[in-house]
Amino acid sequence: MNECERIEQSLGRWLDGELSAAESEVVRAHVSGCARCGAAQKTFEKLERVIGNVLVAAAPRIEFASFWRDLERRMHDRPPWHKELGERVHAWFAAPRTAWVIPALIVVVLAVFSYDSYFPFWRSRSNLATVESIDAYGRSVAILREDESKTTVIWLYQNQEGDDEAAEETPQPGPAF
Amino acid sequence: MELSDWELVQKCQSGEMSAFQELVSRYHQKVFMVILGLLRNRDDALEVSQETFLRAYRKIGGFQGGSSFYTWIYRIAVNLAIDAQRRQKRNPLDFRDNMDSLLESQNEVARDPFAEVQDRELRENMIKAINDLTPEHKAVIVLRTIEGLSYKDIGEILGCSEGTVMSRLHYARKKLHDKLSSFL
Repeated sequence: MNECERIEQSLGRWLDGELSAAESEVVRAHVSGCARCGAAQKTFEKLERVIGNVLVAAAPRIEFASFWRDLERRMHDRPPWHKELGERVHAWFAAPRTAWVIPALIVVVLAVFSYDSYFPFWRSRSNLATVESIDAYGRSVAILREDESKTTVIWLYQNQEGDDEAAEETPQPGPAF
Repeated sequence: MELSDWELVQKCQSGEMSAFQELVSRYHQKVFMVILGLLRNRDDALEVSQETFLRAYRKIGGFQGGSSFYTWIYRIAVNLAIDAQRRQKRNPLDFRDNMDSLLESQNEVARDPFAEVQDRELRENMIKAINDLTPEHKAVIVLRTIEGLSYKDIGEILGCSEGTVMSRLHYARKKLHDKLSSFL
C-alpha cells in the first residue's frame, strides 16, 4: 500500500475529527501537497454534503404541541397485557447481562454429560452403568460396566435351535436385536 | 437557568411530568430526523418516534445516568427503527415524492436546467443507494451525518466498538461513493 492509499484510508476519520493531533497533521500535510488526495478530499466532502442534504431536507419540522398531545395520551393508556409481557420477555432475553445464560446453560449441560471422559477417576462415583461393548453376531452379548469391580453380562438374544446354521451363515451387518 | 438533561431526568424520576415534557421538546425533532433517515416513510417515522419516547417514559425510573440522556434515547430510537425497518414492507415512493417536493420548496434545486437534472438524478440515486444499505450501515451514516456524533457515541448507541463504527462507516461511504461516482 503506497502513501496515497494509506492517506485515503484515513481521510474519513480525519474529516470526522477522529484522528489524534499528530495523525491529523500527517494527513493534512499530505493532502495539501498531493493532487490525487486533494481531489479525494473534495469528493468525500461533496458526498457528505449530498448525504446531509438528502437526509436532513427529508425531515419536516414536527409540531411539538401535537406530538406531545399524542404522546401524553399514549402514556396514560395501559398497553394490553400480552404486549407488555412480550416486551418484558424480549427485554430480559435481549439484556446483555442475561444474554449469556443460554449458551452458559448449554455448556453446563454438555459438561455434565461428558465429564466422565475427561475425569475418568470420577467414574467409580457414578451410579450410571455404561455399555462397554455389544457383540451383535451369533451370541449377542452386552457387557455393562457399573464400576471398576462390577461388570454385568447380558445375553440379549440366542437362537437355541439354529446355532449351527447361524454359525455357518455369513454374519449380517448391523445389530441383531 | 436552563436545566441539564440529567437534572431533568432526576425530576422525571421523582414524578415531575413537566420535566419529561421538556426532554421531549428538546429531542423530539432530532429523534424524528434520525428515525426518518433509517425508515423511508414519514408516518412510520412519526409512529416510531412516539414509541421511542413512550419507552423512555416507562423506563426512565431505571436510568442511572451511566451514559448521557441523548445517547440513551437514540439507542432506544435506533433499535426500534431497525426493528421497524426489518418489518417494513411499504413502498418507498411516498418518502421519495415527499422529499423531492420539500427540496424544491427549499430552493435546493439548482437553477441551471442541466445542473438541475443532474442534481435531481444525484438525489434520487443517493436515496436509492442509502436505502440499499443494511440497517446497521445506514444507522452509522445517519447518526454521523445528521447528528455529527463521535464514533464513541455512535458505538454506545449501537452497542458496538469504535472500531466497528469506523469500519461500518468506511464501508457505507465506499458503497455510496461507488454507486454515485459518476455524479461526484
